Amino acid sequence: MTDEDNIFHTNRRRVLQGLGGAGAAALAGCLGGDDSGDTNGSDGSDGSGGSGNDSTGSGGGGSGSGSSGGKLKMALVKSPLDFDPFVANDVPSTQVIDRIVEGLYTYDETTGVVPLLADGEPQANDDGTEYTVTIKDGATFSNGDPVTAEDVKYSFLAPVEEETENASELNMIDSISTDGEKSVTFTLKYPYAPFPNTLTWYVVPKSVREEDKDAFNAGDTLVGSGPYTFESWQEGNYARIAANTDYWDEPKPMLDEVEFVPVEEATTRVTTLKNGENDIIEEIPPKQYPTVEAIGDASVDEVPGIGYFYLAFNCKTGPTADPKVREAIDYTFSMDTAVGNYVEPTGVRQYSPLPKSIAEDWNMPLDQWKEIPHDKDVDKAATMLEEAGVSKDYQFKVIVPPDDKREQIGITVSNGLKEAGYNCSVQRLDWGAFLDKYVSGDENEYNMYTLGWSGTPDPDAFTYYLFGRTEDTLGVTNGTYWGENSEAGKQAAEKFVQARKTNSQEERQTLYQEGITTLLEERAHLPAYNLKNSFGVKDYVSDFTSHPVNSFTLTTDFNNVSVDK
Amino acid sequence: MGRLRYTTVRLLQAIPVLLGVVTITFFLTDAIPGDPVQIMLGPSPSAQQADAIRAKFGLDQPLYVRYVNYLADVVRLDLGESIYYGVPVTQKIMERLPVTLFLLLSSFTFALCTAVPLGILSAKRRNEPTDHVSRIVALFGVSTPSFWIGLMLIIVFSFKLGWLPATNIVLPWADPASLDAVDPDASWLVARWQVVATSAKHLVLPMITLGTLQMAAFTRIERSSMLEVLGEEYVKLARAYGVSEFTIVRKHAFRNAQLPLLTLVGLQLTSALGGAVLTETVFSINGMGRLIITAINNQDFPLVMGTTLVFGLVFVIGVIITDLSYALVDPRVSFEGSE
Repeated sequence: MTDEDNIFHTNRRRVLQGLGGAGAAALAGCLGGDDSGDTNGSDGSDGSGGSGNDSTGSGGGGSGSGSSGGKLKMALVKSPLDFDPFVANDVPSTQVIDRIVEGLYTYDETTGVVPLLADGEPQANDDGTEYTVTIKDGATFSNGDPVTAEDVKYSFLAPVEEETENASELNMIDSISTDGEKSVTFTLKYPYAPFPNTLTWYVVPKSVREEDKDAFNAGDTLVGSGPYTFESWQEGNYARIAANTDYWDEPKPMLDEVEFVPVEEATTRVTTLKNGENDIIEEIPPKQYPTVEAIGDASVDEVPGIGYFYLAFNCKTGPTADPKVREAIDYTFSMDTAVGNYVEPTGVRQYSPLPKSIAEDWNMPLDQWKEIPHDKDVDKAATMLEEAGVSKDYQFKVIVPPDDKREQIGITVSNGLKEAGYNCSVQRLDWGAFLDKYVSGDENEYNMYTLGWSGTPDPDAFTYYLFGRTEDTLGVTNGTYWGENSEAGKQAAEKFVQARKTNSQEERQTLYQEGITTLLEERAHLPAYNLKNSFGVKDYVSDFTSHPVNSFTLTTDFNNVSVDK
Repeated sequence: MGRLRYTTVRLLQAIPVLLGVVTITFFLTDAIPGDPVQIMLGPSPSAQQADAIRAKFGLDQPLYVRYVNYLADVVRLDLGESIYYGVPVTQKIMERLPVTLFLLLSSFTFALCTAVPLGILSAKRRNEPTDHVSRIVALFGVSTPSFWIGLMLIIVFSFKLGWLPATNIVLPWADPASLDAVDPDASWLVARWQVVATSAKHLVLPMITLGTLQMAAFTRIERSSMLEVLGEEYVKLARAYGVSEFTIVRKHAFRNAQLPLLTLVGLQLTSALGGAVLTETVFSINGMGRLIITAINNQDFPLVMGTTLVFGLVFVIGVIITDLSYALVDPRVSFEGSE
């Protein structure tokens, strides 16, 4: 994801955090639509970095042969912090790591899982508790060592054994056995249908990491099998990666070097695209879209990410435990209008917990779900709230994290309730305080909250953690407590648990469809929007592609970026 | 000898001030709602993970134990380990402090170099158009937030005109090999010159952004101080003797008018440090300002403590230097009597 300022990146499963537009972003509109001026490319950019591109190269993607494709300079929102993929827990770090370290599988242009280091599809047993993967011949790390079954085993077990911040990604694995140098069998603690997504986990050389984990994390000895190698890093200033000239797979990277620089302030970031300080910038805020589109030699490259932002209700205590009250609150405002006003074009309206691409892949009844939210009807809302016995003196409370977009959704609900004659306050909390409160289930802390979630492109990631009633979800990642006062909610939560343990895609589809339809009708959540992974890209950058899961790609089967200034 | 003793006494007096800064910051930081471990690990950390991290950073200890331990560590110049960065706090501060000091020094230089002539000119031409313009400039500077000035400068000089870079600061002593702007085949001298030129280009906008507020405040005090001195009896006497106005200002009025300005320079350090936080954010400068913001956002207690302590130290030292510089400006100031 790219819109996130400070994301808990439990890598494949994460709460979406973000500052959104910084305070100064309100001035974004001041940037005019001057599309004519050529600019002086800036030179150095920090204590030791700049954007000068000396090399030239021809663009082209797909099957480049490793010719000189120049140096790319890319502005991220934040600086990377860690480079050990087992430790890294933030988006900027993984944006760098993903170019250096590969997994057994990866994603195609969209959300399909395809082999990378693996040779063919994983072979699963009938009950879905065993997966066997064969490693491709010729797959090597950038230090020349072959990728072995032992490296794979180590890479999937080490995060759990070391209890790193990413351990929860892999804790469904019971044991791993190897057969020779190239075959690995994963035995799971329980049937876990989304496991193919887990197989996209990073594979690193055991011997190198074990030798010095600190040096590995600092990048000094970071080795992967990817098309790029780590070059240098200065926290807060830059991270540089260079082409892996001995890359084992095709295509070879066209770029000679990529430099990632953090530019937090959105207006400044857009300016660096215009004046050539950076060739690509990530995360374009809503008000900056026209500015970027008006830059003569740049364009916007975007794709909806795998995320989900929503308004959630406290279904455990207080008036919002009553589905009628939740429906009444749905009547107090229009989510379509709120998203249109405060999120688009940087995001898109979403009508279910599943991002649109996943919902379409799984053939979900999107049209039916789209009809469930009500249009604004304050009178009806007031009547329903009265019928439900909510006192006019009741003070509704919405808590929101420190993010402008989600705060605006909270304010919209609050205004709607006020129109209906009820008191409602919106409390914007720092992340620490927010995370403490939103799972308490206490009506004195919140009746509603706005939050976001991201995960692997599988319905499990957007249902189990948000609506599950298991020990590791209820009051941990599920702050709604939906099902506490509703049999339908309880059953839906059970369906989500059952779906993750079912191997049949058809059965899973049915379970998810039924469960999600119930939750939309009972309004445990009011789905709001999904953000796009958006990038401003200079025209001289060829073949750059934003990606729903991996944020962006540089050198893959389907693209190979080059710079020709 | 008097100056040395005076300095020593002032430095010793700074210790309780810094102790107060540490104490207040420590307890305020602890009172902030939220859990840094949860911020670090996300919403669903395992109990073992959370406990391990709490133990590592001493967060499992009672508050008074942590406070005493922290004070003991500070005495040993150990500011602890950053929860967010996972490195010693002193290391992060040493990385970031030079950039912020360079920015502060540059902005004060800019402010003084513009404010002193403007203030004198304004005083000499009181109620004339020059005075009005100078006062309007000063009013604008005092009343405009630095982040707004920064954004406007970026929009005009970087976005519209493309003359100057919008991000970062390059230190003049940076390694030439690390800069793309430096020709790799250039001689040592040329390479150094290119580094300095690059540094100057990157410095202009942040320096003006941070320096404008200072400049405005200095201009106002310089003007009023100069007006006061120019109205003194000895100046009137000089005029009666037929001394030229230029000589009166340069030889008789200028130095005497600088004492209030010097006082203000010391006091302005606080607003400059606050302004640095905004300036560094707007220009994506990797300095202390952004460090303290990161520390607060992530409830990184050791880093919040360390950065606040350093800010306090910079301020205290700045004030002591200001006091010491009185004697340079006014020979009547003696350190002997101040003991």
